[in-house]
Amino acid sequence: MRFSRAILLLVVSLTLVSFAAPAQNKKRGRVAKPRPPLPVVAAIDTENLKTLLKESRQKPLLVNFWATWCDPCRDEFPDLVKIDSDYRPHSLDFVTVSLDDFTDIKTSVPKFLGTMNARMPAYLLNANDPEPAINAVDPKWQGDLPATFLYNDKGEVVYKHFGRVNATELRAAIDKLVK
Amino acid sequence: MRKVSVLLAALFVIAGLVIATNGRALEGEVPTAPAIGATVDNFTLPDVDGNEKALSSLKGKNGTVLIFISVQCPVSNAYNERMEKLAQNYKAKGIAVIGINSNSTEDAAAVKDHASAKGLTFTILKDTGNKVADKLGATRTPEAYFLDASNKLVYHGRIDNNQNASLIEANDLRNAIDASLAGKPVEKTEAKAFGCSIKRA
Repeated sequence: MRFSRAILLLVVSLTLVSFAAPAQNKKRGRVAKPRPPLPVVAAIDTENLKTLLKESRQKPLLVNFWATWCDPCRDEFPDLVKIDSDYRPHSLDFVTVSLDDFTDIKTSVPKFLGTMNARMPAYLLNANDPEPAINAVDPKWQGDLPATFLYNDKGEVVYKHFGRVNATELRAAIDKLVK
Repeated sequence: MRKVSVLLAALFVIAGLVIATNGRALEGEVPTAPAIGATVDNFTLPDVDGNEKALSSLKGKNGTVLIFISVQCPVSNAYNERMEKLAQNYKAKGIAVIGINSNSTEDAAAVKDHASAKGLTFTILKDTGNKVADKLGATRTPEAYFLDASNKLVYHGRIDNNQNASLIEANDLRNAIDASLAGKPVEKTEAKAFGCSIKRA
């Protein structure tokens, strides 16, 4: 009697182990899959931002100023990522400049860019006083976000938009430069 | 000869249209703010309880601060305590602080609840249709306008340089009010900062 109970216990244990093992393997398989690294966000100060915008270049440049706390900025981001993937092969440079708090440079900013699958070079403005940067970009800009500027290869602004961008309008402006 | 003049006229019209179109795209749609020194005309807006209030009845004896604010904008919310303190500090000096909410996405009930939750005791007006935001060329929250006793615009722009109170280096709005109260010229009449765009109707 005791022997048969032991046999039963062994059978039940082996059955449970056989069910559990594949599940564990599956779990291990999921963990083993490498996660894509978070995008790198570089700090940029006002002087370097000015240089970035004014330097002579071979290609048109699109610049989007945004922040994770800005609803329309987040809303328009999928459109911008699509524009980047559609136009980068056609010689458009596209950079984003985040106006988030500097302490977010390794946390919420790259995390958001990662979820958006954003590939464009990403900066975060490192300036305690934002006014010189705003004025350097556009003296008529009050600092409302989002703000999008398109520069031609001579460094001149050919299109700008404050607030959520109209993707069709922006694409039309880019088409004039790259086609 | 006639054909040439018709052609030239057509070219001028097309060139004009191209310039006008480009100009619109580059200038944006929001009217520009009044110049410093310009008088801001009286306006009337409902408060959060729906009672019509005129600027002329709310203005301070020595000046008025109008601040465009928001319920949801984190930058505007970072300034709640500072705005309330400003209103309290300057009440006895004859300066009135008035909040204006022009966001089409935030109704009067939401503005009232938010003010109560955040302890904002100064008057807040609901600018449905953003008519006052358009009149003043306001584009973001928070954005401040300081008018002197005769409603002349003395200062326009940010409250201070940083939404993080520990990083304040320039108290631009307070400096402008203090100078005006002391009868001195305001050194910095305009200052900018990043903020949430006003959600216009």
